[in-house]
Amino acid sequence: MIPIKKPKKSDNIVQSFYASPLYDFLYPFRPAGSQWLTEYVIVLFALIIRCAIGLASYSGMNNPPMFGDFEAQRHWMEITQHLPISQWYWFDLEYWGLDYPPLTAYHSYVLGKIGSFINSKWFALNESRGFESLDNDLKTYMRFTVLLSEAICYIPAVVYFTKWVGKHRNQSPIGQFIAAAAILFQPSLMLIDHGHFQYNCVMLGLTVYAINSLLDEFYAPAAFCFVLSICFKQMALYYAPIFFSYLLSKSLFSPRFNLPRFLSVAIATVLTFAAMYAPLYVLGGGLTNVVQSVHRIFPFARGIFEDKVANFWCVSNIVFKYKQKFTQEQLQFYSLIATTIGFVPAVIIIFLRPKKHVILYALTACSMSFYLFSFQVHEKTILVPLLPITLLYTSTDWTVLSLVNWINNIGLFTLWPLLKKDGLMLQYGVCFALSNWLIGNFSFVTPKFLPKFLTPGPSISSVDDNYRRRSLLPENFLWKVAIVSSYVIMVLIQILDIFVSPPKRYPDLWVLLNCALGFACFSIFWLWNYYKLYKLSYKTMKQL
Amino acid sequence: MKTATSRKSTAAINPPSKDETKPVVMANRRFSLWNFWIASLALKLLLMPDYFSTDFDVHRNWLAITNALPLSQWYRENTSQWTLDYPPFFAYFEWLLSLFVPNKVRQDGCLDILEVGNFGWPTVVFQRLTVIASEIVLFVVLQVFINTSPLSERTQNFVVASSIVISPGFLMIDHIHFQYNGFLFGILIASIVAARNKQYLWCAVFYSTALCFKHIFLYLAPCYFMFLLRAYVLNFKDFKFKSYKDLIFIVQWTNLFKLSAIVIGIFGACFAPFLNDSPQVLSRLFPFSRGLTHAYWAPNFWAVYSFADKILTFLMLKLPYVHKFAIKIISPPLIPASILEIKQRMLQNNNGTKGLVQDVAFVILPQITPKLTFILTAFYQALAVIPLLFDPSFKRFIGSLTLCGLASYIFGWHVHEKAILLVIVPFSFLVVFDRRLLSSFMLVTAAGYVSLFPLLYEHQDFLLKCLYTAAWCTIYFYAFKKTSKLSSSVERRIFFLDRLSTIYMFSLLALVLGVQFLDVMNWRYQTFQKFEFLGLMSYSVYCSLGIISSWIGLSWLYNFDEPLWMSD
Repeated sequence: MIPIKKPKKSDNIVQSFYASPLYDFLYPFRPAGSQWLTEYVIVLFALIIRCAIGLASYSGMNNPPMFGDFEAQRHWMEITQHLPISQWYWFDLEYWGLDYPPLTAYHSYVLGKIGSFINSKWFALNESRGFESLDNDLKTYMRFTVLLSEAICYIPAVVYFTKWVGKHRNQSPIGQFIAAAAILFQPSLMLIDHGHFQYNCVMLGLTVYAINSLLDEFYAPAAFCFVLSICFKQMALYYAPIFFSYLLSKSLFSPRFNLPRFLSVAIATVLTFAAMYAPLYVLGGGLTNVVQSVHRIFPFARGIFEDKVANFWCVSNIVFKYKQKFTQEQLQFYSLIATTIGFVPAVIIIFLRPKKHVILYALTACSMSFYLFSFQVHEKTILVPLLPITLLYTSTDWTVLSLVNWINNIGLFTLWPLLKKDGLMLQYGVCFALSNWLIGNFSFVTPKFLPKFLTPGPSISSVDDNYRRRSLLPENFLWKVAIVSSYVIMVLIQILDIFVSPPKRYPDLWVLLNCALGFACFSIFWLWNYYKLYKLSYKTMKQL
Repeated sequence: MKTATSRKSTAAINPPSKDETKPVVMANRRFSLWNFWIASLALKLLLMPDYFSTDFDVHRNWLAITNALPLSQWYRENTSQWTLDYPPFFAYFEWLLSLFVPNKVRQDGCLDILEVGNFGWPTVVFQRLTVIASEIVLFVVLQVFINTSPLSERTQNFVVASSIVISPGFLMIDHIHFQYNGFLFGILIASIVAARNKQYLWCAVFYSTALCFKHIFLYLAPCYFMFLLRAYVLNFKDFKFKSYKDLIFIVQWTNLFKLSAIVIGIFGACFAPFLNDSPQVLSRLFPFSRGLTHAYWAPNFWAVYSFADKILTFLMLKLPYVHKFAIKIISPPLIPASILEIKQRMLQNNNGTKGLVQDVAFVILPQITPKLTFILTAFYQALAVIPLLFDPSFKRFIGSLTLCGLASYIFGWHVHEKAILLVIVPFSFLVVFDRRLLSSFMLVTAAGYVSLFPLLYEHQDFLLKCLYTAAWCTIYFYAFKKTSKLSSSVERRIFFLDRLSTIYMFSLLALVLGVQFLDVMNWRYQTFQKFEFLGLMSYSVYCSLGIISSWIGLSWLYNFDEPLWMSD
């Protein structure tokens, strides 16, 4: 027997997903003349799987009278095109009133106009509420708009990002493409946007464009993209402290005060905001309209958390009933304090050492503290911290990759109650398995349980006969224990949730267990991320 | 430069088992379809909630019939209009599947004999899973194909095998539209693999089994017959003609007996239980009452013919002098004598055009009889089969198989567009032998797969089918280009035609988008609905151009190109 060598930390430079199925698939496109093909193939398959997920039901399908997020989006397309802009934030607020910033409204307006051009019944004012047809036409159109938005906003941004990182860290082209594929096949975003139905990809994609601009040192465009991102969905504010501090630091200190940069960033930010809100002000009844839109966007009137979510408030609420002990205002104040304490260290670090390679860690730290401690968090909000985390798939550090993969799995797991409600169990299972399989987490299975000729190692790729790809688990023993036990608990909760009905006294027991596990894992990850952020801030890109 | 650095980095991670820098030896390479199976499995599972055609209810009904009724009633039962019309092996297969129906699915109405099936999600899941499970046969057979091929050919054979297992044809027809082609073609491919390995008896076994599962494979029968006859039964090696008595010795009698025993045995096992009922079974298997073309014309010669008829009708009605001119050249029985007669014929036709399967009557051009299509098919198949008599090599065999499929597809009676798989599958085995076959192959696959699009007419499948086919074409046109052999006569390629076929393929995209655009505009402009047939017609006419030119190109190479067919 030849001893099996584990990839050590010294092998950092090589492809992180060596010998994974993604590697096997993409390896044949390695010759320099055909690399352009790889990009098309990845993007095509990313789109195909999104189409296939889109065949399933969406949130609130056949579920009158309120339906779900799908109906909300459709409703906004309906009201934005039929009502004057002054009415957008006022119309029938009980029935899915518009509560996203203006760019969402404009986006809905354009898509609604196109949709109405095709079939005016879909978006007829008031009459189209809960429109559903047997041949799924409206659903098809809406799914198509998400796909289009993603193809424009998210996918090119991610591909560009992986190429940039790859180029600056001497990753092989194939390694860059594999990282791109791993990011594009992130299951949570696919399931929420194309299964549950939302347009998170636009907000996230614009943020990635902003990150790309920071990497390329285009500061004003970065501010522009990021403001657009905020103006699409207020959730992007979770990243705001980091962008603010990075841009400020870059204009003030590095290497010295740079007035043109400072001014261009400031002007870009102000102008973009102004341009986004100008129609509300000019066309739609002045300041009251703007104030109303802000009022709608930040719903402080709602509770500290909605449904069950894997953050601090919801989980500790199990033993400590906040709503009985404190008033709404008190809770708002406390959550504000907690969140600020959570993200301020990251802001300080990025302000003192604004380096490109720590941007992702800083964004993760900041957005995760919002997710864990802020007010009115949805379970879907996990997508916001998951974006910078997933972009770390471009890393070549085994520990980082393992933890990124782990937290992605946990993140998807916390979405289970939501997806179950939407009837997306099959899609959840398939995406869970597929995303892990693609990056090689199940590759240990094949040499053990398959006959030799079926083991997909050295087929068209160059993987050696005796090479075994390990699953993504850190070298550190404590980490291993923590991660494996979290997976075991996860499987247990999953089994309980599917096969055992919860005790009558606690109908939400399984969901709460899910949240508790999620919260525990997210917090551990968040702390590790801080440690990593602190350590990396002393290094340069070259030293990685 | 880039590749050089990345190669170095791969070497660094390769475990130092043998030699650090040595690339993996060819003999050590394993070409596994495992990854393809897993990846396609994920996609197929996600496709479960997708649209399915009436074929789904057809197969469900067969499950119910074979499960509930005694053997003698299988081909007589007609509660539903979807009566059993596949050969008995398939009926046995359905019976076998029906044994595994879980209780939950049974309660869902999966096994009820009704006029129209009444079932829900559990039945869909069960039936879709049977397709996925039975398709494993295809994977296994192709894996055997790879493993039994010589080391020097493994890379190209891997490309062939993987191109077949993830073919958009199987994805669209089996996993969305609903049929069991993956499984059935697996058996057919087994016979091709056996032929490659010179295991002629196995070749016969698999082919006759496939035939007893689905009689559409009958189209390929002449080719198999000639191949087995020449390669296995006849032996011209020591043949010297002295008198007619010598002819007896070219027949290898033991081989002949073995072969016929096997074939008769399989057909016996298949049809014996239905011997008393044979007229009934045959009438179910060969319903000659159907028309020349389907409601959607399969893209073959008759599509062009029908199109020409429509154009001529239009011309003669609008421009009467065209008719006057024509009548001077061609005598009246062949074309209508007067404009009035044209109008009369059109009226007659319009009465029956709304049905799904109907007789097509031409207005201007001569009517086509089943006999004529039969003669044309037989003629072109004979042309394809005769060279086998002189050269029973595997390459020749595959070539003639492809041409047989093409001839029957282009000239056959009531051809279904799904039958294009009968061409594409053998052609995939052939194309790696020579680069010059590639442009013909690309034409027939691109046109053939696009011609399947109207099967999935729902809007929700539009992007999926387009993107998947585009992805397949991008990957495999590239892969075949890289792996197919370059022959010495490559300079003789006609570049103009290559360009033309590239232009053709890109305009397929325009066709698809254009037709879809018209379709979407249907909601807005009601008048468009009258022209719904226009989209289908352009599909079938345009695709038939590609398929027919591919056939011409392949026939040319098959009959007149020597270097291509020389054994290596």
